[in-house]
Amino acid sequence: MTATYRGTPIAGTTVFTGARSRQGYRINKFAMSLTDPSKRDAFRADERGYMTSCGLTEAEMDLVAKRDWKGLVAAGGNIYVLIKVGGSVGQNLLQMGAQMRGQSFEEFMQSRPARQGAAIERKN
Amino acid sequence: MARIVGGVGCSHAPSIAHSFDRGLQNDPVWAPLYKGYEPAKAWLDKLKPDLIVAVYNDHMNRFFFDAYPTFALGVSDKHPQADEGWGKRDLPDLPGDAEFSWHLAQSLVEDEFDPTICQEMTVDHGILSILPLLTDTRWPAALVPFAANVIQHPLPTPKRFFHLGQAIRRAVESYPKDLRVLVVATGGMSHQLHGDRFGFMNPDWDNEFLDLLEHDPQKLVNLRHHDYMERGGAESVEMIMWLAMRAALGEKVRRIHRHYYAPMLTGYGLIVFEGADA
Repeated sequence: MTATYRGTPIAGTTVFTGARSRQGYRINKFAMSLTDPSKRDAFRADERGYMTSCGLTEAEMDLVAKRDWKGLVAAGGNIYVLIKVGGSVGQNLLQMGAQMRGQSFEEFMQSRPARQGAAIERKN
Repeated sequence: MARIVGGVGCSHAPSIAHSFDRGLQNDPVWAPLYKGYEPAKAWLDKLKPDLIVAVYNDHMNRFFFDAYPTFALGVSDKHPQADEGWGKRDLPDLPGDAEFSWHLAQSLVEDEFDPTICQEMTVDHGILSILPLLTDTRWPAALVPFAANVIQHPLPTPKRFFHLGQAIRRAVESYPKDLRVLVVATGGMSHQLHGDRFGFMNPDWDNEFLDLLEHDPQKLVNLRHHDYMERGGAESVEMIMWLAMRAALGEKVRRIHRHYYAPMLTGYGLIVFEGADA
């Protein structure tokens, strides 16, 4: 996934521009609503029903149902609100990231410096 | 007259909050981060500031894209914790300083900065993930939250943050009470949290940033958002907030402490300055 920012691409990156924010407004508004505990409960009790009440399209609801974080970012979702959806359905950011990279959680974790015994600490 | 007695630049992250709450201070992965904060904590304990001005960003916990402020200033005497989507942490509300905050608002606006003035300002991990690493006291001083948009482009420029820091300094120095003020900026360092580049970190760039922040901040001022995103990952662009802290301290600074550790998703940086005239 490559998006351009002022005409210049940064590989693997989707810059959260105004166009993205417009595109993902419904998804992001639904996700932000999950900062309210009663709405988290309502979402967990009936995901489809709650998302319908938030006005999400069928395609957007399918992305959430599939926990397709990569697809949700492509649809305009912002990661800082998508992690609220992740939190509600029991996925942390590392798990979400592995999915976005098309890796298993374990594969992704193996790529982390701490797991490789190579975490970089510098004091100066 | 109030004056600025120190500055701290530090990363913020939900992961830091989680590690703290789960008691992982001595866990092999987390211990270097916590040990790295010890000198800063001892310094702050001795410094005993009367007030903290914190430049940070909210993560759609106080603000949403229905009306997203480019700059927002909390002006009340208390700043409750926001629920970020997984319940609140066991931390007391932050005390504020309404009188100073309204003075800051007045001074900033006269200086042509126009923040949204917030009489209700909940705060999130942008401040609360990191404050418990800087102090064992809950809380050591009143805190004035200054939130910036570093998420929805167009963002304020690096130069704008540098000028903001200078304007904060003028506001502090025009306040009649003898307050000793600490300026904190949070965010970064390198990280990208979405897409194929998820998990990207760049320790070399992060450490170059720390060098330049201390010795030659104009080089950082002159970079574009694009440069920050390319070098450090899209979400790392928030590092530009540190320029406000740096500028608030004046031209020359004395570095008290510096630490960097990049174990997992984010380069965790920490830098502590005193103004050379302090």
